[in-house]
Amino acid sequence: MKSENHLSRLDESRLYEELSRSNLPPTKRWYAGTGALLLAVLLAVAIFTYMMLTGLGVTGLNRPVMWGVMIILFVFWVGLSHSGTLISAILRLTRATWRAPVLRGAEAMTALALMVGGLYPLMHLGRNWRFYYILPYPSERQLWPNFRSPLLWDAVAITTYLTGSLLFLYFGMIPDLALARDHAVGWRKKLYTFLAAGFRGTHAERRRYHVASTIFAVLIIPVAVSVHSIVSWDFAMAMVPGWHSTIFAPYFVAGAIYSGIAGVISVMVVLRRAFRLEKVLTADHFDNLGKLLLTFTLVWGYFYFSDYLTTWYSQFPEDWEVIHSYFGHYFPLFATLVCCNFLIPFPLLCLRKVRRSIPALFAVSLVVNVGMFTERAQIVVPSLARRNDPSIWGTYFPTWVEISFIIGSIAMFALIYVLFSKLFPVVAVSDVKEQLFHTTDRTVGGANLSTVVRGEGEEGGREP
Amino acid sequence: MTAGEPRVVVGLFDGVEMASQAARALRSLRIPEENLTTISSVPLPDGAVVRDRRPIRFPWIVVAFWIVGVLAGLGLTLVTYQVYPMVTAGKPINTVPPAIIVSYEGGMFAALIATLIAGFRSIGLRPFRPGKKMIFDPRIHEGKIALCARVDPGDQERLVVETMKASGGESVRAEEGEL
Repeated sequence: MKSENHLSRLDESRLYEELSRSNLPPTKRWYAGTGALLLAVLLAVAIFTYMMLTGLGVTGLNRPVMWGVMIILFVFWVGLSHSGTLISAILRLTRATWRAPVLRGAEAMTALALMVGGLYPLMHLGRNWRFYYILPYPSERQLWPNFRSPLLWDAVAITTYLTGSLLFLYFGMIPDLALARDHAVGWRKKLYTFLAAGFRGTHAERRRYHVASTIFAVLIIPVAVSVHSIVSWDFAMAMVPGWHSTIFAPYFVAGAIYSGIAGVISVMVVLRRAFRLEKVLTADHFDNLGKLLLTFTLVWGYFYFSDYLTTWYSQFPEDWEVIHSYFGHYFPLFATLVCCNFLIPFPLLCLRKVRRSIPALFAVSLVVNVGMFTERAQIVVPSLARRNDPSIWGTYFPTWVEISFIIGSIAMFALIYVLFSKLFPVVAVSDVKEQLFHTTDRTVGGANLSTVVRGEGEEGGREP
Repeated sequence: MTAGEPRVVVGLFDGVEMASQAARALRSLRIPEENLTTISSVPLPDGAVVRDRRPIRFPWIVVAFWIVGVLAGLGLTLVTYQVYPMVTAGKPINTVPPAIIVSYEGGMFAALIATLIAGFRSIGLRPFRPGKKMIFDPRIHEGKIALCARVDPGDQERLVVETMKASGGESVRAEEGEL
């Protein structure tokens, strides 16, 4: 390991400065960038208000395609949110030694992407002001929601996942908030003091904190899996060709993890560049993330192929018409998704040089996310456009209103992330410190190696 | 020994080895294990300096909440079916799949909330502690390890202060406050 890239060479107070650079007072460039994002979000909000006042007629939605960009964005952002918490929980439980710098950014990505994604089903409602009809409470309507509707399962699952992700993010931040509290002044000190809730780092506190963090990680994994399974059942429970498939839940989960890993890589590259975290986020981290992405390229490819193999073999007319449309009207969509999700990333990610080159891996992660967005579009639109009755077949293309929602969603995610990173430590400082505490340099022959020292079990030590 | 409110002796140590040596010396003075703790910027393995033998029971609260959440989900769906029966051709009034899904999510939701609340209680985290002084030294963020011992004021306090100083402790002092 090159000495200039070794964080343990820094003393602890400098380590905090290095890792909390995102919390420095904002610069003019920061204000300009944040202002531009805010403007884009406000514009999207204004267009949404226009849609609300005018009606869904301003979108490209029409019979038989009644689900469009808003549902595509919902599935895409929920999918993107999938991996952050999941990766973080799995890395925490398996005590992966390279996890520390990745955790916070990934966890934040989950919570924030979910906030963005969760808006779209509400926007899609039409009469948006009646969104509270989805809540089961004794009202003047004398009617409770219909639990048979998978859309209601969505509301339940997303509420659980969003709550869980926010709690997981917050709980993981407590030691860092305590650290920030002891370094901050003014209103920030008050904020961090409140949020750190008096955490000091005594031995008993840390022991209990470790148990609670482990429980959070154990709980959040099945919740993460369930939420995207339920999103898939929005489709799979309907008797629509191309959707009614038993494989949809694992296929959606695999796709969500795939796009999530790509999202984590994109976010990490931006954070590394913006906050000069070169010493924290090294080529080794990106290599490991690249390997995870490669694994899920193959997993996604396997599920995609499996999903279509049965249709291809059986050639039931209604399903086969949907497949036909992929090679006809929807060929650009199909070609983009196959290229961006498999044909381009698979060979590239096999190359160590690409995985260790941060710009190249960033480009691959963006390509994968374009591919995953296209895949969501391909799931939603062609199946509705080629439903069982050929007399109602139609087409769909988003209008400028819906395209503005796509731009608005990206701007909104970026804006919330920028504000989060300005307010809170975007690198898990305590986890990095813990990692360094357990890392020691060891010479083996002529080679100098970093060795990780670990105890057995969560307690770490044994009775002497 | 002089009677009075217990006090806490705090000493800062440069590394785990020094702190561990001081803790051994304090144990030889018959300071009970439960009266010793460390404050550090990284979690130290149990037994490296001090050992915490108190059982951690709050995971059972999480399990209990999970069960309550599952029952609430089940109740929500089943009671809804009974109170607002929806007659759909060929479909039963009580449908099991939605009940499973809502119960599952209800259980997980309750368990997550319980982990936060029970975890906070077990760790002893509270955003506001009016009138209570908690023992702390921010120099732990510079890599120091604070060894803290709850002692009786008087002879024991003096002895512990001397032992910590002899073991290489810096800024050794006795304070009033809670560990």
